[in-house]
Amino acid sequence: MKPAAFDYCRPASIDEAAAALASSDSAKVLAGGQSLVPSMNFRISQPSLLVDIRDVEGLDGLEVDQDGVSIGASVTQSRVMNSDEAYSAVPGLRRALRFVGHLQIRNRGTVCGSLAHADPAAELPALAMAAGARLTVRGPQGERTAAADGFYLGPYWTGLEQSEIITGVCFPAEAPGTVTVVDEIARRSGDFAVVGLAAAFDLEDGSVGGARLVSFGVSGRPQRLAAAEEAVRGFHAGAAGDGLYGAAYEDAADAVGDIHASGEYRREALGSLLVRTARAVSASNGGKAGAR
Amino acid sequence: MTVQMKVESPTGINPMIRHRSGHIGSSLPRREDRSPLLGRRRYVADLKLPGMLEVAFVRSPEAHALIRSIDTGPALALPGVHAVYTAADLAEVGSFPHTIQYIRPVDQRPLAEDRVRYVGSPYAAVVAADRYTAEDAAALVSASTEFETLPAVAVLDQALAEDAPRLYDSWPDNRLVDFPAEKPEVTKAFEEADHTFTETYVSQRQTGLPLECRGVVAEDVDGQLTVWSSTQSPHIVRTTIAMMLGIPEPQVRVILPAMGGGFGAKTHQYPEDIVLAWIARKLGRPVRWIEDRFENLVSTVHARDQRHDVEVAYDDDGTIRAVRCAAYCDVGSGEIFMPGTATVFVTAGCITGGYDFPNMEVRPVCVVTNKTPSGAYRGFGTPEGMFVMERIIDRVARLTGADRVELRRRMILQEDQMPYIMHSGGKVDSGSHAKGFERAAALIEQSLARAKARYADDPDVRVGVGYNNYVEPTTPTYHLTTGHWAGYDSATIRVDPDGAVRVALGNTDLGQGAETTAAQLAAEALGVDPDDVTVVMGDTDRAPYGLGAWGSRGAVVMTGSVLMAADRVLVKAREIAAHMLEASSDDVVLADGGFHVAGSGTPKVSWAKVATAAWARTVDLPEGMEPGLEMSGYFEPPDLEHLPGADGKVNAAATWSNGAHAGVVSVRISTGEIRIEDYAVVHDCGTMINPMLIDGQVHGAVAQGIAGAMYEHFQYDPETAQPRFASFMEYLYPTCSEVPEMTVEHFETPAPEQPLGVKGCGEGGTIGPPAVITGAVSDALADLGVDITATPVTPAAVRRAIREAAARGAAS
Repeated sequence: MKPAAFDYCRPASIDEAAAALASSDSAKVLAGGQSLVPSMNFRISQPSLLVDIRDVEGLDGLEVDQDGVSIGASVTQSRVMNSDEAYSAVPGLRRALRFVGHLQIRNRGTVCGSLAHADPAAELPALAMAAGARLTVRGPQGERTAAADGFYLGPYWTGLEQSEIITGVCFPAEAPGTVTVVDEIARRSGDFAVVGLAAAFDLEDGSVGGARLVSFGVSGRPQRLAAAEEAVRGFHAGAAGDGLYGAAYEDAADAVGDIHASGEYRREALGSLLVRTARAVSASNGGKAGAR
Repeated sequence: MTVQMKVESPTGINPMIRHRSGHIGSSLPRREDRSPLLGRRRYVADLKLPGMLEVAFVRSPEAHALIRSIDTGPALALPGVHAVYTAADLAEVGSFPHTIQYIRPVDQRPLAEDRVRYVGSPYAAVVAADRYTAEDAAALVSASTEFETLPAVAVLDQALAEDAPRLYDSWPDNRLVDFPAEKPEVTKAFEEADHTFTETYVSQRQTGLPLECRGVVAEDVDGQLTVWSSTQSPHIVRTTIAMMLGIPEPQVRVILPAMGGGFGAKTHQYPEDIVLAWIARKLGRPVRWIEDRFENLVSTVHARDQRHDVEVAYDDDGTIRAVRCAAYCDVGSGEIFMPGTATVFVTAGCITGGYDFPNMEVRPVCVVTNKTPSGAYRGFGTPEGMFVMERIIDRVARLTGADRVELRRRMILQEDQMPYIMHSGGKVDSGSHAKGFERAAALIEQSLARAKARYADDPDVRVGVGYNNYVEPTTPTYHLTTGHWAGYDSATIRVDPDGAVRVALGNTDLGQGAETTAAQLAAEALGVDPDDVTVVMGDTDRAPYGLGAWGSRGAVVMTGSVLMAADRVLVKAREIAAHMLEASSDDVVLADGGFHVAGSGTPKVSWAKVATAAWARTVDLPEGMEPGLEMSGYFEPPDLEHLPGADGKVNAAATWSNGAHAGVVSVRISTGEIRIEDYAVVHDCGTMINPMLIDGQVHGAVAQGIAGAMYEHFQYDPETAQPRFASFMEYLYPTCSEVPEMTVEHFETPAPEQPLGVKGCGEGGTIGPPAVITGAVSDALADLGVDITATPVTPAAVRRAIREAAARGAAS
């Protein structure tokens, strides 16, 4: 369990980092290394060059203002989780991050690294979609931004080109009347989700006016639940959950089975998780409490 | 504190020695804790020898294949590679011994020769300057190996089929062993019973999973071979290496520097130890191999892979008349010595647990498949059996409307039945079975009420309770497992000139605290402070031959052997002291760290003075006395049988601990999520030497039991026998978040035949959880018709059981 040979560089500027990344077809960005390094040790991933971006100037910013929370590429998950300002502007961040690995993993793992790695069972990509986050991407042609919604194409597959680096992400501030929650069923505390849900509910007088619902861990990528987003309109704490359950069950038609659970289990559990979450949020009447 | 030591048994154990005022029974802090807590404990992986090279093994990617050719050229061409060895190079090395007469012989070579039978099987070894290079070279060897793939056998039913591919061409089928059993009284009970039912119960494949993986360092200097190995039995490894390499045993030294857990998985004789020893001699340089976690998951023994096809005869009132059981154990390829055959015999022997149930007929069958060889894991067959028995009792309760607790009460062993001879010949020597169960049931009744109140407002959550009453066979014979070694262990005690005591043991410490326990025993026996006792274990040159730590035997064999050796030291020391006191040795007693004449005000003779006379000032010895103050004890536990009698019955354990487990779970119907709300253990291992260490054993073992009940599961592709696991992403052990707080209480029913009344305590905690958790989940979901028949019980398994029960309900 030792990696194949690789080169390593630790540039100080984003221009150098971008150039290094463009210099080889199999160069990879190293930030927290919590997913990349294990996959290298298994030799599943054999990059020729690691571009360590932790010293790159300007990537370590965590900024909170009225528009939202901006997170630079080298900002760790723990730093975001521990920021009360970030929690108050975008409560979904802390609610997602508490499910991400364990303390030691969050101390090294980065928010942007998780967004770039695109594990289909990861919490942060789903939250980014539900919350309407935008990614800032730097490539040989310069900088661009991309909506998280639409960025995820398949397992470990995003709209990022090989020579591009995610330099930051901006989560818009949660609007008044909106409640963002993240909940999941995992085999153990800290595991990737067997079934997960990131949801932003817009509440009107204790019922749901609209919602952005994103599943994770269910299919090959985080996925908007189109039928459930329709079905959830008008949902309130006393409502029967059957319609909403059925809609989520249909949305998850491409759920995959693995050693932890069957596709059928994931469809059932996603429906149940959504109903339970929607009920809890409706009952909380737009307060800041999470689903659990 | 005064210790009055009776010295009446110079050649054996005085069973009347039962001190409870001194070091026995005291929760002395572990002396072993300091170095690991500071990160300074030295494990095999911490050894760095001058000129040491690294070994990486090339392991089969095929589940079942012939090796057509291996081209070592590309690997040898890599800079930094010193050698690549295959089975052909090891022709001079023998095969692993075939000592177990009741199973079919498996010719196992240290490196697979022309055929591989599981993914992970080592077939070549690379020696390089560092592990990175060694792994690069191993990848090249792998890419340069030509296999001819054979049909794989991945599933039990497939292995048992008439037309199944054979793992061993000379065998008529894939059965390593099959012991048909038929009892006339069982047949009769089936004829007489009101009802019968059949069911299949399945326990999944797991492993011991020590935090420290295996590791070997070997060095040969001037023909003296030293092997550092993370093994539970250094002397047995030494014997095996000497035998297979054909060198005199005194020229081999095996050292266990420190161990980060073994759990049975490190009792086996592994090919890597032999290959490293051979390479060290071949190259004349020290070599090292440290098992990584992937290797640990595919090449260290698996366990618990059992299926039980049962037939139960019962009456309307809930009386269970008889059980017939075909106990199948999937032992993988059977290519690690000793193969995991003995576990299913323990399952068969102990399946009735703490119940008076003679009409049990079990047919143990071991089946080979193209999976990692199976072997020992803490519990050694008992958790699998108890799971089956408790599920049967709950099913009969459900079918007849009998109360689950009442039904168990009717069956449980009573004190006046002791000693109780089980259906298998196991002699349950003593115990607190009935009162332990009553206590556990009372404890958990309160928990159940609390949990019901907690979820009263949530119609999606159900609460249930599960029970287990087990017996734990401890200090077993090794003869049925190995076909060679048997059951004793040893201690050598030396009192050095300054009066300090050195105890050397054939037992080893895997992390349980055996060193602390041994110091307590010696301190008690010799009337000294535990801090004045140095304990030596795990080194074949420094400790006497012994069988090591397994089978919950440490406490019993250490008590026996330490007291024997101490008795002998005391007899001699007292004679020396009596000579100095000018008294008869019968009048001399040991008190407050010295000898004096009983009832007199004479000054004391210290251990230092006695020992100085024995080693240095021999002019002070009684005339004609042999110098020296060092004695050994070789303790063969009484009541232990090594071979079955003519009726096939055997008491294969020296003493039998017991316990009652009970647990409450909540289950969320919509998602199948399970939460252990509370867990209670009422435990009895006889006289307790160090209650704190025993609590630790119970806590850790229950955690591993929960692992088996809910989490850990080696899954293989049913067609190809390829493992569907490579890391802890797939093989899920419970973390501290998953293991609940638990209540642990003790009864102390002394073992009547064992010194100090001590019984073993290492494994009992693993036995209960599969039975308890599946019982509790089934109870919680009883009105949905759910009855769990397989472990692990996961959220997905719960949902599947609910769906299947609903389909059955709709069909009927």
